Amino acid sequence: MSEITQNNKIVLEKWVKQFSDELFSWALYKTSSKETAEDLVQETFLAAFRKLDTFQGKSQPKTWLFSILNNKVIDYYRSSAKTTKQNFSLTESSGVAITEGLFNQYGCWKTNDVNPIWDQEEELLDNPDFNNTLEICMEELPTKWQLAITSKYLTQKNATEICQELEITVSNYWQIVHRAKLLLKKCLDIKWVY
Amino acid sequence: MNIVLRKLLRSCQKSTELIDKQFFVPLTVTEKVQLTAHKAICKTCNSYEKQSELIDAVLMKWFNTNKSILTLDTAKKYDIINTIKEL
Repeated sequence: MSEITQNNKIVLEKWVKQFSDELFSWALYKTSSKETAEDLVQETFLAAFRKLDTFQGKSQPKTWLFSILNNKVIDYYRSSAKTTKQNFSLTESSGVAITEGLFNQYGCWKTNDVNPIWDQEEELLDNPDFNNTLEICMEELPTKWQLAITSKYLTQKNATEICQELEITVSNYWQIVHRAKLLLKKCLDIKWVY
Repeated sequence: MNIVLRKLLRSCQKSTELIDKQFFVPLTVTEKVQLTAHKAICKTCNSYEKQSELIDAVLMKWFNTNKSILTLDTAKKYDIINTIKEL
């Protein structure tokens, strides 16, 4: 066995220990099946092992693994011919452009109208239409932003650890979460019809 | 708008930043005053704060239905590790 292969196996073992819980929680949330989620996590790590040479550290391991898992989830829905979810996520730069576009040059909201959908806040938490729309909107977020906004619920890790994994500073972290929320708000304003 | 007043009130863009920032980092006294003043006169930012809180509440509900963080069975983890080792 080559030394590189051996090293790759050590890297993968470390990642399984470090990230499999979060990947599993995410997969379980996406598929609502423990068995399926376990399989998808396993497939994710096997694919990562095969593709490790193409991973050049341009993104963080965690972000990379989640993007592989997201593709596995898409494949799963395709092959099982379940609900065809719309699946495309924005690039970070277009995400930034859209959030900037919510404000004019003076930093004022371009539109001050508050969509009436937001008025009945209390019931929204359990409203299935609202939950479905938010889910669709989540999928449009850039992968890194999805992770930033869900990390604190997916894991017991604290903000500092999450930042280390995503290789961002704490101030970068809340700025990403902030942009993600602006994007979700805009998406909900448009897509959720009351 | 009067320049001093504008400085005190900050823009909506800056105010929404503060709204989301406060979930992670305590705001400074100046920032708190600026945000409170801004929200007092800006209906849109006021409702943005509620929207931001609601999104948080929904995410919390999605991921914490069992009140505990989900983990992958240890046996399954070793299963994956061993599968890779045998490749």
